[in-house]
Amino acid sequence: MLLAALAVAGGLAAARADEPRAAPAPLSSTAETVYAAARPRLLQIRTIVDAAGRQYEIGSGFLVSDDGLAITNYHVVSQYALEPQTYRLDYARADGSKGKLDLLAIDVANDLAVVRIDTKGGGFFRFDPRAETGGPQKGERLFSMGNPLDLGFTIVEGTYNGPVERIYNERLHFSGAINPGMSGGPTVTADGAVAGINVARQLGGELVSFLVPARFAEALLARAEAQAAPPKDFVAEVGRQFTQWQAGLYGSLDAGGFRPITLGDYEAPESRAAWFSCWGRTNAGQVPKPRATIDVSTCNSDTQLFIANDLNTGFVRLTHVYVKSDSLNEFQFAAFLSQQVRPGFGGRSRKWQTPERCHEDFLAVAASGPRPPLRSVWCARAYRAFPGLYDAMLTAVTQDSGTEALVSQLNMHGVGYDTAVALGRRFLEAVTWTK
Amino acid sequence: MSADEAIWVEVLGRHRGVAMRHRCAGRVVRIGRAYSNDVVLDDPYVAPEHLHIVRDETGALVAEDLGSANGLMADRGSVRARRLVLADDTVFRIGHTQLRVRTAGHAVAPERVFGAAVRWWPALAAAGVAMLAVGAAMLWLADYGEFRPANYVVPLLAMAVLVLVWSAVWSVVSRIFAGQARFEANLLIGLAAAVAFEAWYELSEVGAFGLSWGALAAYRYVGFWCILALAAIAHLQQISPGRLAAKAGLIGGLLAIAIAVQVLVQHDPRTGLEESYVRRLMPPAFRLSRVENEDAFFAAVAKLQGELDRDRSEAP
Repeated sequence: MLLAALAVAGGLAAARADEPRAAPAPLSSTAETVYAAARPRLLQIRTIVDAAGRQYEIGSGFLVSDDGLAITNYHVVSQYALEPQTYRLDYARADGSKGKLDLLAIDVANDLAVVRIDTKGGGFFRFDPRAETGGPQKGERLFSMGNPLDLGFTIVEGTYNGPVERIYNERLHFSGAINPGMSGGPTVTADGAVAGINVARQLGGELVSFLVPARFAEALLARAEAQAAPPKDFVAEVGRQFTQWQAGLYGSLDAGGFRPITLGDYEAPESRAAWFSCWGRTNAGQVPKPRATIDVSTCNSDTQLFIANDLNTGFVRLTHVYVKSDSLNEFQFAAFLSQQVRPGFGGRSRKWQTPERCHEDFLAVAASGPRPPLRSVWCARAYRAFPGLYDAMLTAVTQDSGTEALVSQLNMHGVGYDTAVALGRRFLEAVTWTK
Repeated sequence: MSADEAIWVEVLGRHRGVAMRHRCAGRVVRIGRAYSNDVVLDDPYVAPEHLHIVRDETGALVAEDLGSANGLMADRGSVRARRLVLADDTVFRIGHTQLRVRTAGHAVAPERVFGAAVRWWPALAAAGVAMLAVGAAMLWLADYGEFRPANYVVPLLAMAVLVLVWSAVWSVVSRIFAGQARFEANLLIGLAAAVAFEAWYELSEVGAFGLSWGALAAYRYVGFWCILALAAIAHLQQISPGRLAAKAGLIGGLLAIAIAVQVLVQHDPRTGLEESYVRRLMPPAFRLSRVENEDAFFAAVAKLQGELDRDRSEAP
C-alpha cells in the first residue's frame, strides 16, 4: 500500500545451495537475470497535484503489451480517477525517461487498473501460464519489483504461500518485503512471468504481503483492449463496480445463511460464510471485579473494498454481547448495558456519507419459536457519490429480563437498502432464547 | 380635618424607602434649597424657593410650583405640573428629589407580633435534603462501577455550590434594587429549581426510553430552559412584586432566544450534535409504549430510505 512506511526487518535469508527449484542456480544470479530483463518494463506511476506540479502519491506498474499498456493498482490511480480535475498521472522509467499516462480501465474489487503510456516498444511482461490452473507451487521463489518509498527500482525475493484463507476478494500470500510505493508492481516467477500484482502488506506482521492473482489482471487487460473508449466518468464507473460487487457479496452472505451460537440463555445468529474471522472477548479477569459479566463474540468479514484514500467500505460485522448482572440492580444494569450498545456509526466522512438516520422501537418478532421481546435500533446513511448504496446497522437488545441481556448487532457497510433490510430481518428473527 | 393640622413631608430614597421625614405645621409649607424654607433640600437641581404646599378651599393639600426652572414633576416624575393635588400616596419630584406628603391621619399597618415571621429554615432544609437525596439516588442508579464516595460527593457538592452561587447572585441583585437581600427566599427558589431539574432529567430519560421517543431526550434542554425561566421570574417577584406580565414577557423573550440558539446549534449538520437514537436504556419494566410487530418496524425502516436519498442531494 501507499500508506505510512514502517520499519521493516532487513533483507532475505542468506542464499542456500539446496534451493527447491529444478535447475539450482545461485539465488543472486536468478534475481539479477530477472531484474535485468524486467528493468525497461517497470514503471513508477505518480499522481501529480496538477496545480502545484508535485507528486502526491507514488506507486509502481509494469508494461504488458507492445503498444504501451500497463497494469497497476486501482489504489495507485484512485485519486486521479475520482478527481481528474485536480490530479494528473505520469510515469518514470528506470532509465529516467518520463511521460504521460492515460487511465483506461479499473477493477475496484481486485484493486487493478490498466493505463497506457505515451511511448511504444521496450518489451513487456507475460503472465504466468499456470495462473489459470492454480498458480505457482507453495514455497516457490518469487521476485517482487517496484519502487519502494521513491528510493529507486528494486527487486525483492520471497516465497509464494498460496491463496489467503478466509478472504472474499481473492489474494495471494507472498512472504517478502513489499513496501509503500511498490503497489502495482509485478511479482514474477524465476522465468520472469507475472504471478501476481503487489497490493498490500499486513501492518503489524513481518514480511506478510499480498498479491492480486495475475488472472484478474489478464481479464482486465482483455476488457481494456476490447473497449472502444475508456469510461468518461470514472466516479460513475467506481459506483457501478461497487454496486455490482456488493450485490455479489451480500448475495453470498444471504445464500450462506446464519447458524446459531449460544450465549448464556440466548441463541444468536452468526454467518456461515467462510470469509469471516471471529474473535471472542470477556471481562471475567478484570480488576476490580466487574459487577456484571460481559461475553463478546465479534465476526468481521475480510471483504474490505478500497474506494479512496479516505473511504474503505464493503465490510460486514456481526457482534453479540451477552451481559449478565452480578451485583447490579435493574437500573444500574440498564445503565451498564447502555455503555455496551452503540447503535450509531459514530464518526462519518461528510464528503462521502450523509448524516445517519435512525428508527427505534420495541419489537416482538412474530416468527415461530420462543423469542424475547427486543428493543431495536436501525441506523442508516447514504453514500453521496454512489446512488443506491448505504451503510446500515441494526442493533437489538433483549428485553425479557432486567439483569441479563443479549445485545446483537449487524453492521453492513456499502449495501443496497432492500438487501440490508432483508438481511436485518433475518438477523432479528434468528435471535432466540433457550430458557 | 383642621386647616392647621401638621403634615409630614417625606424625602424618598431611590427605591421608595423614606430617607428623611420633616414634620411641618402652618398654613404654608415651603420647600426649596434656601434656608428660608421649612424643608431644605441640598439637591442642586432644586430652586432656592421651589414650591409650597397649601390647602385649597376644600381643605385638600396642594403643591404649587413657585416658578422654578426645573418645575414640579407629577405622576412618578414624568409629567410637569404647575399645581398638583396631593393624596397620601402621591409621589412627586422636584429636581432629582422624590417627595411624598402625608397627614397625621394616614393609616399604618397594625403592629406585627413577634414569632409570626416566616420561618424559612424548615422549608430550606427540606428542599436541600430533597435536592441532595434525589441527586444521590440518580447517581446511585446509574453507578455500575466500584463504589467510590468521591463519585457521589463531588457532583453533589458541585450542585450545592452552584445553587448557592445562583441564589447569592440573586440576593445581591435584590439588595441593590429592593434594598433587601432576602437570601432565604432566593435560596428556596434555587433549591426548588434544582429539584425540578433533576426530576425533569429522569422523567425525560424514562419517557424517551419507554415511548421510544428520542426527541424527548434530544430536546430535553427546552425543559431545562423553561425551569430556569420560571426560577428567574420567581426571583424577580421577590425583588419587587407586581408587573408580572412585563417580567414574564422579558424572561419569555430571553427563553425563546436561548432555545432557538440551541436548536440551531443542534441542527447544524457540521456540529453533528443531533442525537438520532435514545442512548440510555432503562429496565424493561419502564416500557410505556406498545410492542411493535416486525412488519411495522421494517416498514418504518424502509421509509428512512426516501429521507436518506433526499439527504444525498443536500450540500455536505
